[in-house]
Amino acid sequence: MTVARPVPVPDELSAPYWEAAARHVLAIARCSVCGAFAVPPDQTCPHCRTTDPAFVFEPVSGRGAVRSWTVVRQSSLPGFAADVPFVLVDVELVEQSGLRMIGRLLDGPDAALHVGYRVTVAFEDAAPGIAVPAFVLGGDT
Amino acid sequence: MSPQFEAGRQVAIVGYAHSVLRRHAERPLGALAVDVAREAIADAGLRPGSVDGFVTAALFPTAGAHAVVDGVSTVSANWLAERLDVTPRYVAGFQGIGQIPGSVALAVNAIASGAADYVLLHRALHNPPGRYHDNSMREARGLQQWTAPQGFFGPLPMIALPANEYLQRYGADREALAAVVVEARKNGARIPWSYWHKRPLTTEEYLAAAVINDPVCRYDCDIPVDGVAAFVLTSAARARDLPNKPVYVAGYASSGTVPRRLPLHWPLDDIMAGGAEVARQLWRHTGVGPGDVDLPQVYDGFSPFVLFWLEALGFCPLGEAHRFVQDGGIDSDAPGGLPVLSGGGALGNGRMHGIPQMLECYLQLAGRAGERQRESATVGLACHSSPHYGGAVVYTTTPW
Repeated sequence: MTVARPVPVPDELSAPYWEAAARHVLAIARCSVCGAFAVPPDQTCPHCRTTDPAFVFEPVSGRGAVRSWTVVRQSSLPGFAADVPFVLVDVELVEQSGLRMIGRLLDGPDAALHVGYRVTVAFEDAAPGIAVPAFVLGGDT
Repeated sequence: MSPQFEAGRQVAIVGYAHSVLRRHAERPLGALAVDVAREAIADAGLRPGSVDGFVTAALFPTAGAHAVVDGVSTVSANWLAERLDVTPRYVAGFQGIGQIPGSVALAVNAIASGAADYVLLHRALHNPPGRYHDNSMREARGLQQWTAPQGFFGPLPMIALPANEYLQRYGADREALAAVVVEARKNGARIPWSYWHKRPLTTEEYLAAAVINDPVCRYDCDIPVDGVAAFVLTSAARARDLPNKPVYVAGYASSGTVPRRLPLHWPLDDIMAGGAEVARQLWRHTGVGPGDVDLPQVYDGFSPFVLFWLEALGFCPLGEAHRFVQDGGIDSDAPGGLPVLSGGGALGNGRMHGIPQMLECYLQLAGRAGERQRESATVGLACHSSPHYGGAVVYTTTPW
């Protein structure tokens, strides 16, 4: 039996993120009090510590730099069994120092990588109305 | 700046027991835990009725969808106390990560404060049927929605990302990890209760193994086992009347807060910044420094942790641990080698969390290591988990 990849279940906090992703737009939670981005958003802002961050999901450039990567040749999610080997990249987005996301790199498992390589967000359509952010190599600094 | 730990060297380990480690034990984990607990209490020269404190960390550390059943897949302190037919004054479970230093801290604090006189500290680890971390989730809710749909899940990519970050930053390669694993397995092969007893690993075997999440291969990961360990702790004053040479707890430190990240996202800089803080707290708390430690038993549930801990604790300069381990720096058989995996660690024993580190400190400092006994070790250090998500304890042979 083939197991499907897990799909995100949006909740009250994350719904705008997944609505934007479905349109292939990366929108990151931004604290309404201090203006800092947060991945992932939470009950309090990780920067100014307000308990009422009223996060607004703001479209970002989707550009960033590779900080690390791994080639997943065995996944603990059986839903990815048909996808291995694939590359996961740890990306620092250009919008804010230390703002990091992890996603699949869609350039294939043999893509040459170095720390600092530029990547741009891309999207994988996972299910009707659901797209998952990933990355591809390239993009301006 | 807060002063040295007031309860430092006031509490001692006075006995222990450890089960043989098997992939799957023939008996239920709970029954095994009761037997090991009774053995540890007897080893300390006590009877179960004397034990009035029970401490553990009962986390079942799997990313899989396995059911957690007390007495089967984990053993809580309450479960064990009831089966030993005693009514303790103090029962506690450590909730965080770095479970063994956290549990030691609970035991020490209980004894030093008078909440308990004799504390049994145990850890029971279970290897469930099926694949340990596999999870067939179809929907990712809560925090997992930010990582699982993206293919980032479980401990393998968790450790692979900072491991690769380290190798890339310092120009190192898998030979550094091989040096760690081969040393752990060499020592574990000498330990009768180890899963890897009489089964060392060569560098060639390591390098021939398939990489599963680059740069990590299966030998970089400790193997899940069924196993139980237990220690008895009491006050330094009471320890004098017991049969074994006491090993004193000089102090401990646990990781503080870390930057908020995606679940299991452990950037190298987070690990090292957290580790530097643990080291600062530990040296201040215990009054010792890295140069005083004869037996730095660093944690190795994944081999890259050894590099991270060596640097975080100041046994190597930043970025140098990969060279240090490849140059024989951690060869516990060499005259100048630092014995960081002399107890085999988790890689050389099996997935017993920080137990191999704690046990090696105890056995060596109590003079109970048998054929493996080292000369003149007086200060031991036992780590657990990641430097930014764990902790460490310093043990000494002297109560001052």
